[in-house]
This record gives sequence, structure tokens and C-alpha cells, in this order.
Amino acid sequence: MAADVHNKGVTWDAPNGSLVPVDRLRSERSDSPTPGLVQGTEPGAGQEHAMFMHAQSFEDLAAESESNPDSDQAEDQSVLGESQEASEKEGEEEEQRGGAEPEEEQKDQPEENQKQHQKQKQEVQTGVRGKEEDVTSEAWRRHRKHVFVLSEAGKPIYTRYGTEEALSTTMGVMMALVSFVEAEKNIIRAIHADGCRVVFLHKSPLVLVGVSQSSQSDRELSRELQYVYYQIVSLLTLTQLNHIFQHKQNYDLRRLLAGSEHLTDSLLRLLDRDPGLLLNAVMSLPLSSSARDVVSTSLQAAKAKSLVFSILLAGNRLVTLVRKKDQYLHHMDLHLLFNLVGSSSSFREGEGWTPICLPKFNTAGFFHAHISYLEPKSDLCLILVSTDREDFFNLSDCKRRFLERLRKRSAYQALQEAVQTPTYPVSQVGIPELWHFVYKSKSSGLYTSPELPVPYQKEEEHERLIGLYRYLHSCLHHPTRPLRSVYRCGDTENLFAWVSTITTAAFNKQV
Amino acid sequence: MLMISPRMASGTQEKQYTPSLLSFFIYNPKFGPREGEEEKKILFYHPIEVEKNEKIRNVGLCEAIVQFTRTFCPTKPAKSLHTQKNRQFFHEPEENFWMVMVVRNPMIEKPSKDGKPPTVEYQEEEILDSVYGAVLQQCYSMYKLFNGTFGRSFEAGGVELLIQKLEKFFYRYLQTLHLQSCDLLDVFGGISFFPLDKMTYLKIQSFVNRVEESLSLVKYTAFLYNDQLIWSGLEQDDMRILYKYLTTSLFPRHTEPELAGRDSPLRPEVAGNLLHYGRFLTGPANLKDPEAKFRFPRIFVNTEDSYEELHLIVYKAMSAAVCFMINASVELTREFCEQLDALVGPQLTLLASDICEQYNINRRISGPEKEPQFKFIYFNHMNLAEKSTIHMRKTASVSLTSVHPDLMKILGDINSDFARVDEDEEIIVKAMTDYWVVGKKSDQRELYVILNQKNANLIEVNEEVKRLCATQFNNIFFLD
Repeated sequence: MAADVHNKGVTWDAPNGSLVPVDRLRSERSDSPTPGLVQGTEPGAGQEHAMFMHAQSFEDLAAESESNPDSDQAEDQSVLGESQEASEKEGEEEEQRGGAEPEEEQKDQPEENQKQHQKQKQEVQTGVRGKEEDVTSEAWRRHRKHVFVLSEAGKPIYTRYGTEEALSTTMGVMMALVSFVEAEKNIIRAIHADGCRVVFLHKSPLVLVGVSQSSQSDRELSRELQYVYYQIVSLLTLTQLNHIFQHKQNYDLRRLLAGSEHLTDSLLRLLDRDPGLLLNAVMSLPLSSSARDVVSTSLQAAKAKSLVFSILLAGNRLVTLVRKKDQYLHHMDLHLLFNLVGSSSSFREGEGWTPICLPKFNTAGFFHAHISYLEPKSDLCLILVSTDREDFFNLSDCKRRFLERLRKRSAYQALQEAVQTPTYPVSQVGIPELWHFVYKSKSSGLYTSPELPVPYQKEEEHERLIGLYRYLHSCLHHPTRPLRSVYRCGDTENLFAWVSTITTAAFNKQV
Repeated sequence: MLMISPRMASGTQEKQYTPSLLSFFIYNPKFGPREGEEEKKILFYHPIEVEKNEKIRNVGLCEAIVQFTRTFCPTKPAKSLHTQKNRQFFHEPEENFWMVMVVRNPMIEKPSKDGKPPTVEYQEEEILDSVYGAVLQQCYSMYKLFNGTFGRSFEAGGVELLIQKLEKFFYRYLQTLHLQSCDLLDVFGGISFFPLDKMTYLKIQSFVNRVEESLSLVKYTAFLYNDQLIWSGLEQDDMRILYKYLTTSLFPRHTEPELAGRDSPLRPEVAGNLLHYGRFLTGPANLKDPEAKFRFPRIFVNTEDSYEELHLIVYKAMSAAVCFMINASVELTREFCEQLDALVGPQLTLLASDICEQYNINRRISGPEKEPQFKFIYFNHMNLAEKSTIHMRKTASVSLTSVHPDLMKILGDINSDFARVDEDEEIIVKAMTDYWVVGKKSDQRELYVILNQKNANLIEVNEEVKRLCATQFNNIFFLD
């Protein structure tokens, strides 16, 4: 893969790894999740167009890929993705999962997120990445959580705050520390100072470093770094990542990832605010079981040969997930898909078609995802994941059939209403003084949580709340000293969490 | 240096190794700033056999870690480095003087078939930073107690003198570190106080006053009974480390003769007169011996301001021990020691039996000694008072606890949580073994309780702890 990329001889040998002046590079970044791929990593993609494309441009893509001498290679690659499944593909029965057994208490709920969601998106769009910060300033240091990604040659790939260029020395030191400890056949994990910790994660060929000013545990921080790692793998595949660095150790990976930083930014924001990523669970859209059945069967009926997963989302909540028999979608992959959809508004403009690697499924190959909103203004988003790069029209047709069926059986209306129903307030649970809670059902991988009450609505307080849940989670699931329950009474709130054989719950109660 | 714990799994032949000291070094980056001079930075390195280049490399890594951490927290230096195989603890007790302790993680060695080398699994979550960080700080405090600060030694005799002192002290001290049995009590480094009625307490105080009056050379006095402190004239921090030295090192070395029978050869000559049982634990073993030397260990106190160097005289009669501290510039003579012996010996003997009697009365009132109903640890940050019913006697070599090590670590975890915020808090957790562990922090006081009531619920546990507070700490206010 890397070889053919190299053949194009674009800019690999540029002294600083990039011919384009940095400022121009930045300004050219598009909203597309993977425009960096344009540079030729996915040969079928052609060189001038973003990989992610709207329907109109699809023909161009097909035409180009045919004339592209590298397309053989591309095929090789998608085979990688497929071959693994092949053995399990027989009897193309589909199963449904997700929202199958929503908790009793969930009944009247939804809405809320819409606004929040949109706001979030806007933030991403305006994309004040705060890049131009002075990395020696106190303000830069005081960011609650820094995340850095670098290559094994110590080249900067990503920083959450500031510019990679300004941090190249710091990242060089990070790499030096990592390799120094590894030279002793040991592995560096973390450095602790009072009120600050630095966590290292070496996932060859990348090195990830997190710096947290909060009391977050090393394990949690390291898990978040893994998420970032998988985010990057999802854009490139691990195979390709390895090829690139085997070929040229000090390659500047930012060239390939240019424009995708906002995905990592928004993933990190999700990690700070969404308990789902912490709990390895997703929230489902409350819906009557009959309505959900209709949605699910409609989605099941809209099948195509290469279609592996069909996912219907309402904002950040899952409506239904249909998968090929024996194919499982890891919650981490699902969250990466959520993040992809949630952080790009471009999908609202038409049908999107983008290659994506689902790293927990297979780090070697790309899937191709058809992403579109059921209506431009709606929060309902359909993701169809296929193994076939040429499948755009098939999947587009699947969507059409799904919509038709949905309308015919008048489930669409119910769905729309569910999306617009606000989520439930905590008072509905009927426990006096209870401020907030999170409940996860282990068997279904779903969690539920009421809307944020006043004291937690400010961004800072929201993140503090998630921090508290993170603390409880980390106590309960300590790798060698797990606990059955934790109760903590402090100045501002009382916390309680317990694990039963089937559930995890965390409560938050007023003092 | 590998310690095999008794928790060896039978049958599977797994070997479990407890945490152990890998290396311990002290350096000052200012002493060898130029390239090629790195060795000069190193003031002490254990184990001594380590090859020079490796020493330099390891010191270099520490410098790099410290420097790197400053990027993010310029004011708060690095405290520990976690790696798969070990933990390194950093402590900068004086400017530019760094002490580093490297502790190997506990590990399990699993034999593998086909004659391959056994696989080793490191248990990375077992070592608590707070505990071993405190152990490292204690190393410094103990060094300082007997040697004064690094800086003073350096001023007095240059690097040579400092290196000499460090080697002399740490060579022996490191052998007494028993890393596998460190726990929450090391974090507190507290002092156990002897509970006493007012009358007896006043008797002791008047005794101390009388002696200080008669022997004007005595600058500070400390009085202990049964290895527990009753009265001290020293500053808290100095007393805390002196107490540690007395109870874990000096007293254990001298218990044997008293326990030995009357006719045992171990029993020391009772110096001709049988009027009292007093004897010196430091200095001359027998006053009547014409060869007796009147040299006492020297200690350094108040190093922050007045920086005093003192002779430490420890005198004991039965279970009562008194420390007399005298300015080091005074030379102590046979006459002084005889005078002290004659004055203190009979009085202390009498006082010791008084305390013993009083103590027995109190015990009878409160009922016969039984296994304490509650297992708890209490620590007060203000007066450093600590009390534990979890630890049987803690000696230098072993700390016997009556609970599972994992529960002790949960206590440590709760303590670390408390240390992070400055508010009053309460934490109640239920372990997988169904033990309840309760931690309360209230107004500088910390209380940890372990309850073995499998079927109790949170409310009952809370009630139970309230009852404990009422009986054991009735005069201490705890936040509800």
C-alpha cells in the first residue's frame, strides 16, 4: 500500500515532510472526515477529490478508479476486510439488536439532545481549534487534559492544544523517554506529580501521551488514549499505518490526517462528556416495542449482499442496529461511527460515502459506509456499512427501500415523535433528592440517564459530573481490587455506585 | 534479595514475589554539569556493584523525567515513574539533591513446559505511591536525624564528607527497609500515645520537670511507656522520626535482656545496687566497667531554624523509657552519667510500676482484653496521634496485620482519595470478599474501619461506625 503511495512521489521526501506551507494546509482543511486520504492512500479515491463524497460525485470516482493503475491494490485491501468475514457469512440471516429491551423506566423520554447536539456540531464547525496558543504559556499548561500523538521517530502527529510544530521538541522528549525505558526491556506507563499525571501508551507505530490535571486514574486515561489510537486507525487501517512507517520511519503522518483533527478533537470532547464511552455502552432512543420492531424489520428487509451493519441513529442515541449473523459490532467501533457522524455536518447535505476501518472488527481493511440523514432537518441518521467499495448505489437503494417500507407501515411518524420527545427528568424515577444517575444493563450494552439537572448544565460542571462517574467506575472496576459498591459523601454531593451481577449503576445525590 | 511470600500457590507451582528494592540513589545535577562528568553527580548508589555507565544512565533518566514533567507542572516536581516492571520514587528534600528509590513490582512466576524459561507476570497495580513515597521521605528524615542536612555536610567537608556520611548511613539503613510490609501506617508516620489518667500523667510531668531542674544540661526530654509516647519536649516532626527510630530499631534490640530470666547470662549486671532497674540503652552498658565509654549517638533537630546537634541518652527502667537530649558541644563524662543514673534510676523504677499498676486497673474496669470488636486505624494530623487495632505490634522487620493485604490496599486507595481534596469526606465501599471498608476524614482526622458483616447494608454499616466513634472516640467530633 505504502509502496504505491510512494510511487506517486507526491511529497514524501520533503525535508519537513510537507511541501505545503503549514498555514495553507490548515486553511485548506475541509469538513470531510478523511480528506487527507485524497493524497492517495486509497487509490480508488483519485487524487483531487475527497474520499468522502456526495452522490453527484460518485460517478467521477468510479470512472477514475477504473483508469487508475493502482486499483488492483485497492481490491487487495478490501479483500482483507472481507476474507475474514467470508467464513462466517453463510446463512445471511440478520439479527437485530439494540433497543430490544429498553428499561421500564425509560418510557416517556427523548428530545433535548437536538439542541445540544447541534450546538456541539457548531463548535466543531467554527472549529476554534485554539491552535495558535503559546505552548509555553500558563494557559496552555492549565488545560485539563492534553493529548499528544507522535510517531516512533518522535514526529508530532496530533496535539489537542497548540500546534504540533511548536511542540516538536516536547514530543521528541516523550519519544526519548519511551524508547529509553524500552531499551531496558521495560515499558513506561506513567509519571505522577502532585495533581498532574502523564500517561504513555505505545501502540506501534504510534505513541500516545495524555496529560491530565484531574484525578482521573491512569487506567481511564490510557483507555482514552486507546480510543484516540483507534480513531486514527479507523481513518487509515493499521496495515497501511505500518506500511507507511516501515517504508519511511520519519514520515510526517499529518499529511495523511490533515483535516481529520476535528474528529479526534470531538472524540476527546465526547470522552469528557458522554458516559457511554466510559461504560462501554450506548443510549437507546425510547420507543414502543412495536414501533421499534417495525423499524428493525424494515431495516432488515433492506438488505444487500455486501451490507454488514445497518445502524439507525437519533442524535447520539441508537434506534436500532441490524447486523449480519455472527458479525458483531464492538461498542468502540460503534462509538467511532457515532463520532464520525456527530462531528461532520456534511452528511446533512446529501448521501455520504466514506471508507472507514472498524478497528475492533478488523484493523487491516476498510469498510465503506453510506451515511445519510433521513431528512435534512431530522436527527435520524442511517449508517449502512458495506464491504464493497463499489456499492454506493446498492446502499442508496437500500436506504430508499427502508424509507419506503417505514412510511408504508406508518412507523415513520412514531419515530419522528420519539425523537422529538424530551428525555426524562430525574424526578420521574421517584427517588427524592436524587440529582442524577447512570444505569447500564450489562446484558444489552445499553445505558440510560436522565437529562442533566441545573447544577450540571454548565460545561464545566457537566465534565466534573462525568469525572465523578469516572472515579466511581474506576473504583468499582479496579483490576485487582474490584468493589461491589462505593458510597462517597463529600461537600457538594453524595455519590453511590454498585455493580450487581447484571447491572452497573451510579447515583448522584444531593447532600 | 528476592523474597518469596508465604502466599505461594500450592499445586500450580507458581511463585509469588513481593515488592523489593531494586536500587536507591542520591544525586545532585549541579555537581557534574558538564558532559563526561556525569559520575560526579552521583553521591550514593545502591547496589554498589552496578556498572558506572548504568548508574549514569539511570540518573540521566531521572533527570529527564523531572525536567520533562516541568513542561506541564513547573511548580510541582515529578514524584513517581510507573513502568511495567517497577516504580521509581523521586524526592527532592533539599534544593537540587534528589533521592530516588526503585521498587520492583510484585510478580508471579509461572513455570512453562518444554523447558522454556518461566513466564513472569508483573502486578502493576499493587504498589501504592503514597506508601512508598512516604517510605522514601522517611529515609531522608532518618538520615537527617543522625547526620543533619546534606547541605550542612557539604559546606563542612565538601562532597567527600557528604559521600562518606551517606554511604555509612544508607549502607545499613537500606537493609532494614522491609518494603513488602509497608502500608498505610507508613503514610501517616504517626505516634502511638499511651492512654493515661490525669494523676499519673501529672506525676510523669513533675518527674520530667524535676530531672530537667537538677540536670540543667538536659535540653529536651521525652517519656515513653510500653513503646508508646507519653510526653515530649521536641518539635512534632523531630519527635515523629525519633519515635520511629526508638520503636522500630533501638527498643527491639534491647528487649531480649529484660525478657530473659533472672539467672540468664543475657541479663545485664544490675550494677551492684538492686535499688532500681534503670539502665542506659545508649552509651555505657555498665557504669561500673572501668573501660566504659561515654559516647552517645548524636541527633540533629530543628534543622529548619536553630539547627541543634544533640547527644541522645536513652534510659530505661522496666517498661518506661526516657530520652534526654543534651547539647552536643558539651562533653559527657562518667560523673554526669553516674549522677543521672543515681537520680533517675530509682524514680523511674517507681514511676514505671505506678504506671503499670494504673494501667492494669484501667484495664480491669474496661473489661478483659479480647480481640477488638472493630478493626480500625485512626490518625490525627494535628498531633500525629495514631491508633491501630489492625496491626499487632509493628516492629522493624515485620508488620503483622490481622486483615488481608488487599483490604489494607483498599484503605490505602481511600487514603489517596482523601489526600486529593481538602474537604471532609466519607467513603464506604464493599469489597468483593463482602468486607465493608469505611473511611472518614473530618477536620484533620482520619478513621478507617473494616467490618466483617456480610449481610449488613449501607445504613447498618453507617450505624455501626457511629457506634464505634461513640465508644472509642467519644470526645472527638466526627462529621456525620
